[in-house]
Amino acid sequence: MKFFTLVGVEFRKIRRSRIQILLFLGTVILWLPSVIHADMNFKMQAEGISPENNFFIQGFMGMAAFLFPASMVVCTVLLQQTERNHHGILKMLSLPVCPAKLCFAKFTVLLSLAAAQILMTVGMYGVSAGIASRTQDYNFLLPLSYVFKQAGSILLASIPMLTFFWLLSVWIRTPIFSIGFGLASIVPSVLMINTKVWFVYPMAYPFFVIVSEYGKLATRLSTAPIKWVPWLPVAAGITIICLLLSCFRFGQVERG
Amino acid sequence: MSVFPECKKMKRTGFFPALLLGGLFSAMVPVLNMAFRSELYTGQGKPPVRILLDANWQMMAMLNILLVLVGTCILYHTEYENHAIGKMAALPIRRGRLFVDKFLLMAAACIVILALEAAAVGFCSFRWFPLPEGFHGLILELLQNFGYFLLLMMPAMLLSLFIASVCENMWISLGIGVICVFTATMLPSGNFAWSLFPYALLFQIPKSLPAHTAGKLLLAVPIEIGAIGIAGALFANIRRRFT
Repeated sequence: MKFFTLVGVEFRKIRRSRIQILLFLGTVILWLPSVIHADMNFKMQAEGISPENNFFIQGFMGMAAFLFPASMVVCTVLLQQTERNHHGILKMLSLPVCPAKLCFAKFTVLLSLAAAQILMTVGMYGVSAGIASRTQDYNFLLPLSYVFKQAGSILLASIPMLTFFWLLSVWIRTPIFSIGFGLASIVPSVLMINTKVWFVYPMAYPFFVIVSEYGKLATRLSTAPIKWVPWLPVAAGITIICLLLSCFRFGQVERG
Repeated sequence: MSVFPECKKMKRTGFFPALLLGGLFSAMVPVLNMAFRSELYTGQGKPPVRILLDANWQMMAMLNILLVLVGTCILYHTEYENHAIGKMAALPIRRGRLFVDKFLLMAAACIVILALEAAAVGFCSFRWFPLPEGFHGLILELLQNFGYFLLLMMPAMLLSLFIASVCENMWISLGIGVICVFTATMLPSGNFAWSLFPYALLFQIPKSLPAHTAGKLLLAVPIEIGAIGIAGALFANIRRRFT
């Protein structure tokens, strides 16, 4: 089977999972307080950030710190459970498909779900910035090219984290451990971004990227800039190792 | 005792070791914080338990809530996997009983988690702070604080368990839980009505609040516990009509 056929099959499996609703609901709740408390953006002069930038960055920081990583853990649960219910994985493995390919197809679906949630966040940002502009009589909407650039960099930065979550869900077969470990690993990322070794902790990447952008926008606030040299090789290494390990392990228990 | 079969069901799901590990992880938070930057806290001149909780409880509470979430999802996941709940319904047990038993098991697990955390906070106060009220004072303070936390944890426990009992698919109950926890972190602080949201309760420290607010809070929580508990136990009876 071709790789894209496999990805299509995986998408069909989760078509009626209602995961889209869950991802969307998260983004609605993310932007709701920003619209209600839109006037707070004018009181951020101490940091030296303009109201429209503050509106944008606060929402995206909230997303990258908890909502997005936690939603991705939920997505890994979905991708694993659809196979384990009624031994669906046995049927998939009986097809003439390389298990590693199957695993990578599933990871591609996870990646697209991540992209979908980020896209929803951008969409809701547009809606809520529009509403806030009306209520506050001030233009909160930033240029779309800038917003998409930031959203894209969050997505790129989240790839190592996604491979790690995927590794957890493939290797740890007791769901409580894979979910618990995934969720618990998100919590310290707020601390990790303030340390010198943040680049070894993939769960902190998306948050680090957006916090670093916050430092650029706010003139009176300094945050750690992105240092490409240790980060890029480490991130690439984590991604490749996690993907290789999970493709190696995928379906191994069922194959016996 | 019908809690016992619930324990047996959980034996091979990793429920107990996972929650124990989670409890240990969250107990490490104050210890590590003190080990690395004790000079930030020792000079504050407030009661040690209060300093430690003010500094670390937000993160510990977050971990606790997530543990509760995962634990409750697994408690019902074992029932829905392979339709075990149909077999449970065939037994001569009242249906709401299952909900109550699972809640009792979760509450027992939470007591262990909180005890671990209390021990860690106690250790930190003992190791890094002078104890003006002596050892007994420290124990009393810890018991009071963590007793409140247990009470504040219960509405979240019950609500997660209720959601897990409604949704057959674990990702839905987990997803709703994640959104609820996220909502709790987004709620404006200092608003009493919002602070009653079951998932937001645990982020508060009753002993640091003004006595008046804390009193209202501790009055409202048992009402929430009763309401969600009754709803959860009753829903078990009418569940068949929805699924």
